[in-house]
Amino acid sequence: MSDLFDLPFEEEPPEPEPNTPLPASREASPAKATPPARRILSVTELTVRVRDLLETELFEVWVEGELSNCRLWQTGHLYFTLKDESTQIRGIIFRSALRYLKFKPADGVRVVARGKISVYEPKGEYQIVCEHLEPQGLGALQLAFEQLKKRLQAEGLFEASRKRPLPSLPRKIGIVTSLDGAAVRDIVNVLRRRYSNAHLVIRPARVQGEGAAGEIARGLRAIGRVKGVDVVIVGRGGGSIEDLWAFNEEIVARAIAASPVPVISAVGHETDFTIADFVADLRAPTPSAAAELVVSAKDDFCGRIDRLEGRLRGAARTRVQALGRRVHVASGRPAFAGFPARLAMRDRHAGELAHLLARLTRARVTAQGRHVQLLDRQLDAFGVARRLASLRARLAAATGRLGTATTARKHRAAVQLGTCAARLESLSPLAVLGRGYAVAWNADKTRVLRDANVVARGAVIHVTLSRGELTCDVREKRGTEKTESF
Amino acid sequence: MADPSIKDFEAAIAELESIVKKLEEGDLALEPSLALYERGVQLSRFCHARLEEAERRIEILTERGELKAAPPSFGADDDRA
Repeated sequence: MSDLFDLPFEEEPPEPEPNTPLPASREASPAKATPPARRILSVTELTVRVRDLLETELFEVWVEGELSNCRLWQTGHLYFTLKDESTQIRGIIFRSALRYLKFKPADGVRVVARGKISVYEPKGEYQIVCEHLEPQGLGALQLAFEQLKKRLQAEGLFEASRKRPLPSLPRKIGIVTSLDGAAVRDIVNVLRRRYSNAHLVIRPARVQGEGAAGEIARGLRAIGRVKGVDVVIVGRGGGSIEDLWAFNEEIVARAIAASPVPVISAVGHETDFTIADFVADLRAPTPSAAAELVVSAKDDFCGRIDRLEGRLRGAARTRVQALGRRVHVASGRPAFAGFPARLAMRDRHAGELAHLLARLTRARVTAQGRHVQLLDRQLDAFGVARRLASLRARLAAATGRLGTATTARKHRAAVQLGTCAARLESLSPLAVLGRGYAVAWNADKTRVLRDANVVARGAVIHVTLSRGELTCDVREKRGTEKTESF
Repeated sequence: MADPSIKDFEAAIAELESIVKKLEEGDLALEPSLALYERGVQLSRFCHARLEEAERRIEILTERGELKAAPPSFGADDDRA
């Protein structure tokens, strides 16, 4: 049968026998005697009938095929052809429906389309008007993910050169996430444990469902404008690809890229990568891990200070010791040791000065040595105090008594600082003044006065005593003919 | 611990670094060595002070761009202790 259908029509239907009388034939077959009135349709009528048939019969169809000839019109509607190995049908998806597709229809993508058949009367053509397209093979979301990733990558948004380092000591840490999720608690917990005086600014945003991406993007923009926020964590706990979808949306990616401060993405668990992860300056596998990153940047910084302090101490000690040895060697020489005594016999004034010099120098070197030790101890105290404090803060957090601990710690630190300052004062090189010596300074205290020549009459000088200081007017000068000999 | 001679954190640590280098390399006299050392201690103290100075605080940035203290449930338990 089908073969018959496929046969071309005969050129001409065979002519009826000329001698066969037509009327007889009619009578011979009464069934054909009353043929239906020949209804001649206009093209329009026919088309309308075809349309009615198709549009009622094929009101909702699902069809699978490959997209080709995809063309996006200025109206925002997408025209395409859906084809299989041997046939094709035109298709269209209107802008309103196109908007809701998670992927971008492109040539070569196999899709299942849902839609209805519609007839375009002016051209007598039919097409499928799609309400929805679903890519086959890869899931729609996966495909959308790959497409967006490719596009942003091509724009250079994932470049390593774009990644900014985290601040060593953030003034404020911004967080964009849902207030109801586990993420915010995880972050707060880590920071409370390991960075007890962190200042957090949380911008609540829904992290899943319709509109979430918009909220996250808005949140990122808003928090980037808060003064003092110099790092932002954006994220949520783990979930299905649909749950995490907001973090694969272009607006979120763009907001991250546009952030004025470094952004750490913290979405889901280890294995899920989102577009946000690629754009972010730093990617953390979980929200807690993001907080840990902030903390470790701070710890690195502390380590850097500690190391510098160690070197500072070492270098200063070496210098002082070396110089000290030289002074002792010099002052231990018989010539020098006897100098004050010999001078004293000739010139008491000069002798005193020389004596003073020798003692001052020795005292000074010793005092400075002690000074260095003291400062060393202070540095140690700082380090130890800080480490103790962090331990205590941890303990306190565990028992929920952080508040008290923090206050106590502050108090201890203040006391410690006071003690240190007092000790610093007492061990200053000037402590030698306790024995009754005074030091005279020029008006702005930049030079120690050794020579009356450098001071004018009427000038103001300062005199540092063992306790307190005097500001004096110079009323008279004597001994100006002698020049400074030391 | 406001010290006008120290601009900020990063500046402090950069200066501290250069002081340490100078002390380690230079053959300086006693006075400048000590002056440098004191400055170094001052800088490191500044850094430590900055580390400790911040108050633990949790704030919520509202839709209208206002900052509000987070509810106590956020672990802001030492708010005004």
